[in-house]
Amino acid sequence: MVRALREAHRVLKPDGLLLDLRPGAVHRRVGVEVDSQYKQLAIMNESLKDDFAANRAVAEIIQEGLFKTISRIQVNCNRSMALTDFSSWLADFRTDRDARQERLIRIVERAFEDINGKRKKIVVKGPLILKVLKKITI
Amino acid sequence: MTIRVDPERNEIRALKEVGIWRGKKVLEIGCGDGRLTLRLAGLSPKLIHAIDPSPDLIHAARRNTPSTFAKQIHYKMGSAGDLKYPSDSFDMVVFSWVL
Repeated sequence: MVRALREAHRVLKPDGLLLDLRPGAVHRRVGVEVDSQYKQLAIMNESLKDDFAANRAVAEIIQEGLFKTISRIQVNCNRSMALTDFSSWLADFRTDRDARQERLIRIVERAFEDINGKRKKIVVKGPLILKVLKKITI
Repeated sequence: MTIRVDPERNEIRALKEVGIWRGKKVLEIGCGDGRLTLRLAGLSPKLIHAIDPSPDLIHAARRNTPSTFAKQIHYKMGSAGDLKYPSDSFDMVVFSWVL
């Protein structure tokens, strides 16, 4: 990650901007939305190891004097999907917590069946963080 | 698999807040299937070079891109750790959900 950030520094023009856009390092919330009404069902227990590693990499290149922080923007980001797509989407997060993920799928499936409404969908919510860094020319 | 990411478009609103995109030369790292690339193109940068290590995703991104953006967006397979571009060539580099 640090190598990628150093490469970004190299290809940026003087005073160029690096935009680090990614989900925040917090557990996502899973719910069902029916007719624009959201009902939270569970909180994901995904590993946040990679997120913290990315934060450390950004801190490292700032400490090296390659960039300075200009701003940090946080917005909400929803991902909506059909129930049939939920477990495939969740597969991206599977690490050492498979049993918990299986339990989460069961909770969501059961709740989804119990909720009436034609236009229901799974909605996963979580913050998205945009960090803006300016290149410092050495 | 059909997943709608950020249907409220909060992501692109946040990116718009960063400053002036018009006329800028942008590198997007981790463009995937071009979902965000197309939204960035709407901010009118002069040029977007969008890279991703996956040939399948680059293929999908090209397929998803309307011909009106053909001159503005250049998709290419590439790795963030070894950028095949000269030094001092971009106004903005966007790490798109990849770090």
